[in-house]
Amino acid sequence: MKKAVKIPLTVLGIGAAAFAVTFTVYFFNLDMKLTSMIEPILLNHYDKIPRNQRI
Amino acid sequence: MAFKKVDLIKNPKERKGDQELGIFYTGKGKVMKRREWRGVKDTLYDYTRWLYIMSVLARFIVKPRNIKGMFRYRWMANYLAVPHMMDKFTQGLRDEPLRITHTAMNFVIYDVAQTIENIFRGDRRTGNDEEFSKRCVLTDENAMTAFMMGFKNSKAILREVPTMFVANLLTQYSTTHYIDVAQEFGIPGDVCPMPEAEAGISIDDDFAVLGCCAVQVNTTCDGSLMGNGLIAKRLEEEYGIPTFQLSAPMRHREADVQDYAAEDIKMAIKFVEEHTGEKWDWDTYFAAAKRVNDATRHRQEWLDVNSTYYPQFVGSVFSLYNDTNYMGNCGRSPLFPPVDAKITKLVRRGYERKTMMAKEYRHRCIVWGVQPQYNIHMLYWMINCWGVLPLTDMLSMVNTKMIAEEDTPENREQAYYDMAWLNENMIMRNRTHGGYKVLVDELWEFCEKMNADMVMMWEHMSCKALDGLHGQFEEQGRERGIHIVWVCHDLCDPRVYTRQAIRDEFSQYMRTVLREEPLDPSLEFINDENAW
Amino acid sequence: MKDLKHLIYFERLLEEAHNPLISQAQEEGKKCVAFVCENTPEPLMNLDNTFGVRLTAPNTGSMDIATYYMTSFLCEFSRALLERAIEGGYNFADCLIAPDGCTMMNRAAENIELLQAMGPGKDTFFYQNMEIPLKADDNGVNLMILQCKNHILKPLHETFGTDISDAAIRKAVAEHNRVCELIQAIGEYRKEEYPRITGYEFHVLTLATYVAPKYLLIDKLEETLEELKTREPDTKKYRARVMVVGSEVDDSAYIKLIEECGAYVCCDRFCFGSFPGRVPIEMNDDEDALTQVCRHYVYNTHCPRQMNMQKVYGRKAYVNELACEYKADGIIYEQVKFCDPWAYERLMGTTMLRENYGFPVLSVDRPYNISSSVGQMRTRVQAFVESIEIKKLQGGVK
Repeated sequence: MKKAVKIPLTVLGIGAAAFAVTFTVYFFNLDMKLTSMIEPILLNHYDKIPRNQRI
Repeated sequence: MAFKKVDLIKNPKERKGDQELGIFYTGKGKVMKRREWRGVKDTLYDYTRWLYIMSVLARFIVKPRNIKGMFRYRWMANYLAVPHMMDKFTQGLRDEPLRITHTAMNFVIYDVAQTIENIFRGDRRTGNDEEFSKRCVLTDENAMTAFMMGFKNSKAILREVPTMFVANLLTQYSTTHYIDVAQEFGIPGDVCPMPEAEAGISIDDDFAVLGCCAVQVNTTCDGSLMGNGLIAKRLEEEYGIPTFQLSAPMRHREADVQDYAAEDIKMAIKFVEEHTGEKWDWDTYFAAAKRVNDATRHRQEWLDVNSTYYPQFVGSVFSLYNDTNYMGNCGRSPLFPPVDAKITKLVRRGYERKTMMAKEYRHRCIVWGVQPQYNIHMLYWMINCWGVLPLTDMLSMVNTKMIAEEDTPENREQAYYDMAWLNENMIMRNRTHGGYKVLVDELWEFCEKMNADMVMMWEHMSCKALDGLHGQFEEQGRERGIHIVWVCHDLCDPRVYTRQAIRDEFSQYMRTVLREEPLDPSLEFINDENAW
Repeated sequence: MKDLKHLIYFERLLEEAHNPLISQAQEEGKKCVAFVCENTPEPLMNLDNTFGVRLTAPNTGSMDIATYYMTSFLCEFSRALLERAIEGGYNFADCLIAPDGCTMMNRAAENIELLQAMGPGKDTFFYQNMEIPLKADDNGVNLMILQCKNHILKPLHETFGTDISDAAIRKAVAEHNRVCELIQAIGEYRKEEYPRITGYEFHVLTLATYVAPKYLLIDKLEETLEELKTREPDTKKYRARVMVVGSEVDDSAYIKLIEECGAYVCCDRFCFGSFPGRVPIEMNDDEDALTQVCRHYVYNTHCPRQMNMQKVYGRKAYVNELACEYKADGIIYEQVKFCDPWAYERLMGTTMLRENYGFPVLSVDRPYNISSSVGQMRTRVQAFVESIEIKKLQGGVK
């Protein structure tokens, strides 16, 4: 295939794949599902930080 | 007296995409099972805005000091939920209202991200940029930043905004840890949980530490005023950050308090000059004053459109954007006017096209009282579930006066009065203080002007200023034939009043008093008690 | 100890808001100026043909109607005042002057105004709301002067023809100071190891000076002071000397309850108390009287709504000074339930008096009328007294 055709097709293919992946993440809320799993880990971590609690 | 009636407005267009909006929560997880399908065009639009938000977050988190901050400060965990917040705020929206909401709120997200960046840049525990920190002035969450309008290089850092205020918009349980800390130390449970949580953050040593000084204001209530003392004590004693208490008169509509207020503004400016080493610059001030007036004009136009049959910019984002622009920004940033202009353009277009947000509009409602941070998106629920249109809210009904914007000798003196006026009329306090005239009497004027037949009264149970006139609202509303729908909550503590309990109160009124059926029955009970 | 000769007389003055001395003064042609906050300069209401009465609601029971108007979350004092006003308990007053001090008291006054719950049948009755500075500085003094002119002096002069001249103010201050000096002199006896006046008796006397025309009390106070000079104190020592600090206390039964637990209330720092409310106003001849009165109220108030940090720290230092001067073993920080300012101040005060000044501190909230929660309060005070005793046994100084 000619280079002039191949490059745009590759770009288009990558773009389409990126769109397919990100749109799937977007539509099925996978980003939030992932971060909601991270939150308890972070909260546990905060609980372990020594605090100087005072007025 | 018979109840006032408004015309029923039917939407000739069918809503594209998902029709049932109550199906997204399963009750198990913290988030929705999927995002809303809004038809191809609007879904793609929403998707591009999601990409934009992701890019803002990505740009934020790649910086090492921000990662450090993420692992140091408990409140940062809430920022995992930023896209989720946008989904709550855009529920059921299509066409112009969707675009208006995104335009406004996406900018707020950007602005908050900048604020957190600045906080971590100066924070002694994370970025520790001492030179930058020396230019920072800490201010309250609910503070009007008018006294900073003439400082070109110094930065007003609203430290409590990302720490407490925004965090609770993101996840409903964001403040409970801090409330518990405050109560463990002895603050009673009956005070407003917002200043209580802020006090808890200070006690828990979870505020970032930066700035050359801090200016505190007696903002919305006695609790807020008193919580400041506790926070200032730690700032001064432990971190050596001097504080200034800027006093805004309570009876702010009276002529005989304005000299006092203006004089205190002068003292605040002097205090900032002393600690930042920067001189007040009138060019900077008057440029900011122009932007304040510009924002006022835009806000008035949006409200004018909301007085018609086809409001466009409504709901919690209307309130939150006004909060950010009017109070947090107060004309200081040149980035806001283009956003205002873009919103206005969309508002006009939506109005011309008679764009509606629901199948029908049954009631025109003014939202009064103090909103629950953890359920602020309920205003969209009212539209979608019951066809009740929130025309405006108490927090958005702020200053309408134009301030002096030309640099003349007289206007330089007037400027102190203008700043004082803005300071006195900061969001919420301009209604909770100043006597019953600004809280009760003017509500009826707004009902008249905006042709509202209903007032949705957020009864924040520990807001003494609002509670103190409960009976007056009841009686005067009845006399005027306005439906007063009381909806109780505890501002930022969902353990006291859950989201569903809040919705139930509204639904009960709709069913038992108005004998109506929901437009979207799937929304009447939503399993979001454990959700963010 | 032998009973004080006039104690019952003073106690009776506190049984009703409308006490006999108010009627007596009105029969003499004077107008009654009702007020609701310690930040209102009292001498300005005791001019010429007027006398000031700070409103209380003794023996409050049900507050159902006020609760309807203001919900159950507002402080009981503010609700009690509204309830009593609606019941007609303040119909004796000729006007109401309410500073926008704390939000809840402001709302109580506004409800009274909106419901026209005071002044029925009195054509000249008026309501005034005034601004009170939130900081102790000269800007605040200027505001106070303007507010007093616009919301006290002018309305009194225009409505009742009251003489509001400098001379009239000076005369009122002299009378005010005489009462303050008497109360302070009586209060001095609380410093004794075997005090010849109880905390309860002292509170009754002090409270009476807020709720009755001052000029009608002076002779009885003078007699009481004379009587105290020779009064034989009890020889039994109190278990602990405590200072009571906090929000308003117009219920002497509360002080009595504390003393029934074996404590002695040796000093008070609350609204309706002797500090700072009965500290004389220092006057000179060089400056106008109004300015001096206003300066006194702005700089000497210890209300928690004063927000500048000098005041925030100063309030605790003041408590420490008084506690040391009156030889307190411990401090009771109290707060009327649902009072926001004192909710925070109680926490700060409790912590600072413990950590910075080394006092044992009991931190409590209480109902407006203590009779609704006697058992609970008694238990807490008893435990506190015991803890002080144990500390003393263990050799702790404070």
